Amino acid sequence: MPNPPDFLTTVKAVAKGTGPLVFKVRGWVLAALVLVPVLGAILVALLFVAKGREGLAFIGAKISLVIFHGVLLKFMVPIMALVAAGAGIREDMEQRTLPLMLTRPAPASALPLGKGLPWFLWGSLWLVLGAAFLQVLGGDLGSLPGRMGALVGTWWAELAFVTLLGLIFKKGTLWAALWLFIWEGFLEVFPASMQRLTFTHYANSLAGSRYTESKAHDLLAQTQVDTPAFLALFILLAFGAACWAWSGWRLHRMPIGLAGAEGEG
Amino acid sequence: MIELIRASLRYGDILGLSPTSFQLPDGGGITGLLGPNGAGKSTLIQMISGLLPPSGGEVKVVGGNPFRNPDVLRHIGLVPEGDRLPVGLKGRGWLRMMGELSGLTGTELDEAVTRTLQRVDMTERADLPFQSMSKGMRQRMRLAQALLIDPKVLILDEPFNGLDPQGRISLMALLRDLAASGTRILVSSHILGEVAMLTDHILLLFRGRLLAEGTVGEIRALLDRHPVELRLKGADLDKVAHWSVAQPELAGLRMEEEALVLSVRSPHDFLPRFQAEVAAGRLAVASLDPLDLNLDAVFQYLTKDHA
Repeated sequence: MPNPPDFLTTVKAVAKGTGPLVFKVRGWVLAALVLVPVLGAILVALLFVAKGREGLAFIGAKISLVIFHGVLLKFMVPIMALVAAGAGIREDMEQRTLPLMLTRPAPASALPLGKGLPWFLWGSLWLVLGAAFLQVLGGDLGSLPGRMGALVGTWWAELAFVTLLGLIFKKGTLWAALWLFIWEGFLEVFPASMQRLTFTHYANSLAGSRYTESKAHDLLAQTQVDTPAFLALFILLAFGAACWAWSGWRLHRMPIGLAGAEGEG
Repeated sequence: MIELIRASLRYGDILGLSPTSFQLPDGGGITGLLGPNGAGKSTLIQMISGLLPPSGGEVKVVGGNPFRNPDVLRHIGLVPEGDRLPVGLKGRGWLRMMGELSGLTGTELDEAVTRTLQRVDMTERADLPFQSMSKGMRQRMRLAQALLIDPKVLILDEPFNGLDPQGRISLMALLRDLAASGTRILVSSHILGEVAMLTDHILLLFRGRLLAEGTVGEIRALLDRHPVELRLKGADLDKVAHWSVAQPELAGLRMEEEALVLSVRSPHDFLPRFQAEVAAGRLAVASLDPLDLNLDAVFQYLTKDHA
């Protein structure tokens, strides 16, 4: 009789076993969420240049900033997290495919990370490519690692966060969407210390830039603050790791039967 | 090997299983778990397979509480009812993952996957994605993941659903082989005839209560207060009818085509006296057939009684 696998072996086995799912429709949706705005922006910039209205160096850098902060970080990464987290443990619970894994002697606490890891790697690939493609539009090449780090770090943290909410609440995806799209934007105009409660703050700190359109509420905003880049990256990674750990603990404690999630919510 | 000590389970305010106690010993054997929908079969299976902890009492499998307990789960294989296979994955890859989650690695894993796929006759079709497999194939894959580790306890929830007649026969043969080689098997089914072909040891559940445990015969013995129908054929059935009417156990009597059907309580008391009359030549009977000494009758009697 073989010995039960340890945590890391379980993560590896689940990631390898469920990894092929990222090549299905949902995986390509993630890729499209990154590539469509990036490639669209490049196309628009090239059209402007072709019509002789602006030089690429001028218009490209501006569009790049808008796409990076206003589209990728603000909308696409959260949407990716909502899409991919659903494909992880939550959907296994709803489609009742999870109980078979829970009857194996592997640690249940490793399953959320094992299920999430292929999606994280797949999404990271497209985010890194997206950041690289944006560089075509211009801007400081030295900021590229920071931008890549901001996208991947935010993706890691938000994916883990949405996964955790999906395990804690029955309508976890809804709560996650409210946080990422409403509460996050709300906190941004709060005093400096409150800004540190947003993913956006650390992403901006890592990217070394920020973008905002001046609206009425900006007049009320306090001074924007920065966190040193390495500390920002560490906080995003640590927050994500904590969310994965909490998800694992939650799954370990939660009775999940053949009919679904008896102990959820 | 499996022991429940007043184990119960609640789903919120709903009682899924009343305090239940029974014990299945070490060593191989097949036990049938019978009951209509909502009887508590799946609840019991989920507690034994470690998916749900009991709300009260104790569940012990191979000496320990199975809920999230790797030392116990490594001895259990569960074949649940329903699909429960992830759409988008292929059979072999998924089976390898289940093997790794069971602690198998390297050549041990390769051998276990190959051997198990052969055992369930899926070697040629294991590389199909689940959505391309027939219901029967998917059932075989569910069985395969449970057999990967040669479990000491194998639990099957409605395993014959979706299988063609040949598949059912093969599965029964496989289960008998496993039981003979020392696996303790618990099979839940609502198709009583199938379970009766597989085992004579049954646990009968109804409305979240364990009504009876034992062999079909033992359970029948509990039912002596219920009438058993006996069909008799012979040359002088009028005389038999006349003798039967005088017996205290007779609950009913009717004539059918060339046969007399007696409805008898406590057949264990009635039959020896009847046999003595026939042996003494005072009654003439060509044949005696019990009409309902099968699991369906036992089940119907018991559940009717408790409804």
